[in-house]
Amino acid sequence: MAKSTMGSKKPRVLVAMSGGVDSSVAAAILQEEGFDVIGVTMQVWDYSLNNCTITEGHGTCCSSQDVDDARAVADHLKIPFYVINCEEKFKSTVIDNFIDSYLKGETPIPCVNCNTFLKFDHLISKMKELGCDYLATGHYARIEKGAEGKAVIVTSNDSWKDQTYFLFTLNPEVINSLMFPVGAWQKSELRAYAEKIGLPVARKKDSTGICFIGKSGYGGFIESHVSKRNLRPGLLRRFASGEILGDHSGIHNFTVGQRKGLGVALGFPAYVVKVNAETSTVWLGEEKDLYSSELMVRDINWLSDFTDGDMVRAKIRFAHRGAEAKLCKVAATQARLEFYESQRAITPGQAVVFYRNNQLLGGGWIC
Amino acid sequence: MANPSLSLNDTGRIYLDHNATTAPHKSVLENLSQWAYQWGNPSSIHWSGREPKALIRNARTSVAKVLNCQPLELIFTSCGSESNNLVIKGFFDANIDSARNEYITTCVEHPSVMKSFDYILKRGAVVHYVPVSRNGTLDIEFYEKHLSEKTALVSIMSANNETGSIFPITELAAKARAVGAKFHTDAVQVLGKMPINVESWGVNYATFAAHKAYSLKGTGLVYARKGEMLQSLISGGGQERGRRAGTENTLSIAAFGHIATLLSHDIEMHKNNMTRLRIEMEAEILKRISGVHFTGDGVDRLPNTSSFIVDDIDGESLLINLDMHGVSVSTGAACSSGSSEPSHVLLAMGLTRAEAQRSLRISIGWCTTSDEIAKFLEIFVEVVAQLRRLRSEMG
Repeated sequence: MAKSTMGSKKPRVLVAMSGGVDSSVAAAILQEEGFDVIGVTMQVWDYSLNNCTITEGHGTCCSSQDVDDARAVADHLKIPFYVINCEEKFKSTVIDNFIDSYLKGETPIPCVNCNTFLKFDHLISKMKELGCDYLATGHYARIEKGAEGKAVIVTSNDSWKDQTYFLFTLNPEVINSLMFPVGAWQKSELRAYAEKIGLPVARKKDSTGICFIGKSGYGGFIESHVSKRNLRPGLLRRFASGEILGDHSGIHNFTVGQRKGLGVALGFPAYVVKVNAETSTVWLGEEKDLYSSELMVRDINWLSDFTDGDMVRAKIRFAHRGAEAKLCKVAATQARLEFYESQRAITPGQAVVFYRNNQLLGGGWIC
Repeated sequence: MANPSLSLNDTGRIYLDHNATTAPHKSVLENLSQWAYQWGNPSSIHWSGREPKALIRNARTSVAKVLNCQPLELIFTSCGSESNNLVIKGFFDANIDSARNEYITTCVEHPSVMKSFDYILKRGAVVHYVPVSRNGTLDIEFYEKHLSEKTALVSIMSANNETGSIFPITELAAKARAVGAKFHTDAVQVLGKMPINVESWGVNYATFAAHKAYSLKGTGLVYARKGEMLQSLISGGGQERGRRAGTENTLSIAAFGHIATLLSHDIEMHKNNMTRLRIEMEAEILKRISGVHFTGDGVDRLPNTSSFIVDDIDGESLLINLDMHGVSVSTGAACSSGSSEPSHVLLAMGLTRAEAQRSLRISIGWCTTSDEIAKFLEIFVEVVAQLRRLRSEMG
């Protein structure tokens, strides 16, 4: 809105800057292209609560290294920069769901909820309130004009970095307001560009894992945020005979496909094949028991039209390359996915995301 | 533009956040290099220490005069936060063997006071927190009820940084004195806004920060009445009569002394100017914007501070928009990352988190002009209207 009185004719873009090299380059590219760029970082977590175990941050209250880095990049580019306080929203929509999901025996991906409720909802409101025409992020994804001139999301040019998996919950109506400036880039080119224009984060290590998990890991995080009586200890059983193999201190410590830290030696390579939250039972089996040829998906968000029985390429986790499957509609936002070939370690709580060629069609949560 | 004879702010931006800090007075800049030439260590015996020592002595005398106390009752520190830490922790340490171990403070103090009390609480002190009402006045009944022969120290701010509410320090200190308790006031927000007289306040300790009054950052001050004990927080040399070790910040202390001489002459004038501007501004806001509620309405407030809730607005977006239009204001207290947080002061006054997130604080300064206020109002009215329009569109 400020644009009306500032007399600026350039389209204005709000860039979500994480302090990493991708979103920093995104801001730089947009500036180079002539946009009026405003940088924001979402303050999502009070780092003092983690007793300073997060390696990326300085570990001091409301001042992580990443916020400082984002600010340094904005200063370098000479663009306005603001920190948006999202702590409450992050806690209620990301952290609480993350904890609940683990306690239900699932393996959640908090990054999707962060995109759904913060980046592509809260920041869309901020974009409007700050008089911006677009919201840009550093995601490896591209926006193209689809068949009827409608904007669609397609995978990035760097297929190794592609992050469209995390974007399936987008409201289709906001796509026209989005920009993914690094989606056309290869990561190696992007680093070289960052170096060339002297960005202070050009050599910063890529973030891996979940931003709010410190050195104590997932299990430690859950245990420090949940009272002991809400943890779910139970039995370890042999799949599918039911033989009792031992006990465990809580289902939150297990994920389908896990091989390490099982607490028992069975004389063969054992894997978690199933976690049953109702009985708090963790089922252990052999690798062959991990394979399955279908899954149920709930809360589907569609970014494109779809016909019952369509063949899609389905990704069942971020690192999955995708596999051919038939989508069979069960209800408005539920479906059964039948894979052409059995898939290893289909994990409840993870997302399954559908593609046609390189176009993101939508996705949902694995039951 | 801000009054060019007083202000270093020649950017054309409208600065209305003087409770956060002030631009140094122009005359401070004019004298800066003269003071900087006195680079010697004030504790040196040889020639290089003489002039700096004299600068500090003169500054101490000027500041003592404007506060109405003795020069040796003043301890120069590095900032307001250090000063508050020194009084609360230093008092606790100096009185560790006393039979009095109860402390009284309020729910709306600065974090440096709050956290110093957390510190002594963990070390055995009993701390009572006086609540405030919806308009920011202290619960005097609670205060009186908790004052006793066990009370060691009371710490109540002279005026609140966020709402501008002024607390009746003279009266509160007299009640503490009546039970033999000591009284500290965090007076950081009153310096430079109204005349101060620590003698007539009847307090044992008072704390200040020079940068809130058109001087430089890097100097805070503790007034500790003659005979009042304080254990130094910093172990080291015998500077400040053993109560604050560390080589003195001669430059910043000299600037503070210079400002004190200006304060002696001009404070009434500045106070009246700021009061007039604030009253005019508040009347205009009420006239031109619906759904604005002043916090601390009807109570005694600082001449320069306006704090209010704007209905149907997100304070963060309001602040950023104003900044993009060249107007600097504040929402509650900013944390060190620069993001805005719901103010603990407003929450203590009984406002909901949602209300606290719609708050805005305007703090006028010596150099603020009527033109700046008029321009601010024009921008403010437009931004509020636009944000409300958007909000109704977004549902």
